[in-house]
Amino acid sequence: MATIAVPLGGAQARQEVQAVRRPALSEYLRWSVDHKIIGVQYGVTSLLFFIIGGALAMGIRLELWTPELDLMVSGAAYNSLFTMHGTIMIFLFIIPMWAAYGNFVVPLQLGAKDMAFPWLNAFAFWLIPPAGVVMLLGYFVSPAEAGWTSYPPLSTLFSGDGQTLWALGAHLLGLSSILGSINFIVTILNMRPPEMTIWRMPLLCWAVLATSIIAVMATPFLAGALTLLLLDRMTGTTFFDAAGGGDVLLWQNIFWFYSHPAVYIMVLPGMGVLSEVLSIHSRKPVFGYRMVGLSSMAIAIVGFTVWAHHMFTSLQPELRIPFMITTMIIAVPTGIKMFSWLGTIWGGKIRFTSAMLFALGFMSMFVIGGITGVMLAALPFDIHVHDTYFVVSHFHFVLFGGSVFAIYAALYHWFPKITGRMMDETLGRIHFVFTYLGFLITFFPMHIVGMLGMPRRVAVYDPAFTDFNRLISFAAFVLGFSTFIVLYNIVRSYFHGPIASANPWRALTLEWATTSPPPPTNFHDDPIPYEDPYGYGTEAASAYIEAIDMAFDRRDPAPSGAD
Amino acid sequence: MTTYTERAEKQKTSDQRAAAIRLKNNRLGMNIFQVSWIMAFVALIVVNWQLRFNYSQWPPAGVPPFDLILPSVATLALLISSALVVQALKILRRGLAAAFLVKWRLAIGLGALFLAVIVYEFLNVSDAAMATQYGNTFRLMTGFHFVHALAILAIMCRVYQEANQGKYSGDEHDSWAVEGAAKLWYFVTFAWMLFYLVLYWIR
Repeated sequence: MATIAVPLGGAQARQEVQAVRRPALSEYLRWSVDHKIIGVQYGVTSLLFFIIGGALAMGIRLELWTPELDLMVSGAAYNSLFTMHGTIMIFLFIIPMWAAYGNFVVPLQLGAKDMAFPWLNAFAFWLIPPAGVVMLLGYFVSPAEAGWTSYPPLSTLFSGDGQTLWALGAHLLGLSSILGSINFIVTILNMRPPEMTIWRMPLLCWAVLATSIIAVMATPFLAGALTLLLLDRMTGTTFFDAAGGGDVLLWQNIFWFYSHPAVYIMVLPGMGVLSEVLSIHSRKPVFGYRMVGLSSMAIAIVGFTVWAHHMFTSLQPELRIPFMITTMIIAVPTGIKMFSWLGTIWGGKIRFTSAMLFALGFMSMFVIGGITGVMLAALPFDIHVHDTYFVVSHFHFVLFGGSVFAIYAALYHWFPKITGRMMDETLGRIHFVFTYLGFLITFFPMHIVGMLGMPRRVAVYDPAFTDFNRLISFAAFVLGFSTFIVLYNIVRSYFHGPIASANPWRALTLEWATTSPPPPTNFHDDPIPYEDPYGYGTEAASAYIEAIDMAFDRRDPAPSGAD
Repeated sequence: MTTYTERAEKQKTSDQRAAAIRLKNNRLGMNIFQVSWIMAFVALIVVNWQLRFNYSQWPPAGVPPFDLILPSVATLALLISSALVVQALKILRRGLAAAFLVKWRLAIGLGALFLAVIVYEFLNVSDAAMATQYGNTFRLMTGFHFVHALAILAIMCRVYQEANQGKYSGDEHDSWAVEGAAKLWYFVTFAWMLFYLVLYWIR
């Protein structure tokens, strides 16, 4: 029999393995440089903002129940409502939520004891709560009304002081994102164990690496744009004022040079999660591992060449076709991933766990978002549906059907590792059904009303669309309700869930080769990665998983041969 | 059983390994920061570039171009300052602390001279220029650069103070602060060279 690598150094190490107590709740409220604590801090903070952003979404749907103004006093009040919804969901929920998983999981997957710069890591997190508070305060002072994209002159001439606070908050969040990303890149490139070459790295790490490269290269542009906005608002410069020689398109160019890549910042880690979850829960190696890793990098690079497709209606006509072509090219690496996921689960021993259900949900919804993305990339179609609900539908399919479904999949998948308790699978499945149907019925009809001509960002609409909007609002309330199921599940499982073993999903990546939750130093000994992170279905893989079980969960005397 | 000496040896190698990894991380982190944050300066160059196209000529009609001599002298001072920092770092590696301090002090002095000229230029933009984006973008870019240069010059002063107290030996593992400050100063110099070309030479 071939020599089998085992996750622990020797029998001596096993004696040191004891049940690890999870950190007291108070530790999560303090400054900590431990990546696992910081990961949870990111996660819980993002979840709180998700609830706030979700409540605002419910407000939007309540307003749209009738074609007239009813909940809101004016169109301007409605503007600030969706401005805050978009801003919170993007800057304060999805982006930091991926930092949560990245922080908790990446060092563990690499077999590292912590991130490369622990202090910087904590600092990056602690920028987020004040930034969030500043943004929310703005809503109560004199709210921003210019949408999350904050186009001038709306954001310079019309919005209140809340817009200034919005820009300050976004500045802090950008800084946090850059610092966090530098940390991820250095950790992933420098802190792998010698056995783990870059081609043996788990795909979540590939995805976080690609995401971080985008974040460090693109976010400084956001900083530039916000600086100009702040100067125009506060010191009377005229960068965005045509009367003073300025240019409103300047904002659109610089903002989208950050914000289009930011779409990939929001979805690439989800794609990494998907590769993990689909492979583990269908017991099959990832189909085309190298191409999946490289396609993340391809998306990162091509993502920088497509920004002006957000400006098809305002761009010089001769630039439209080049941007249409680059935008369509980006469907190629994305398609590679989609085929890889299909190839991965094809013929696998699929276990329909909650994590797997959400991952399959991602596949079905994201493919719709991707196809409408290619439709929107086609110039004639884009001009027809520009600023309609078709666009709203498209990006919700990508960011909710994509990112949020992946966030849920990751939650069910890694919750046992994070807390040492299993989540309730029945509640998880109920959550999935409500979320899936609620999501589909909320956002799919938006394609139709969009094509029929209902503009986005308006509170008063053509009464002909009332029935559609009632259906959408009703489904949205179901979707909102589904969130409470998972919140209840989190709280209940945290206190009363069944104790999780070290490796409940029988996975091969290193985060499972330590106790649940991991000890403060992550591993009891330097862990040895299995030769292929997704090499399921072989005797050697079974033996490796067996060795993990022996080392951590069986309290009887260690049988010989497990090492 | 391992002996005390063996354990001490093992501890020492693991300390050395940790120090080596720390240095490697610091260097890579600094490189990524430099590549990342230069994009903020590139963003401002894009601003300058795009706003130019709103005018038929640059500088706009009726606006005299900026004087070249004083800023060029300041740029030269900054370049020499950066070269001195390169030398100072090499000297420190050879363990010549006193010579290091001389070069580092000179570098700080030339950096301060550069900043003084930039402040003078910032404050003396003509009203005609300020009425157009020619002056607006000039103040934006020089101001943005100034904030960075000032902060990093303060770091260099702090490093000087600590070096003066003999805190840094020539060993690269315990003089990261010097190396880091030097690399930040190269960043300031590189960013200024981009701005200098765009603001003064590319018309």
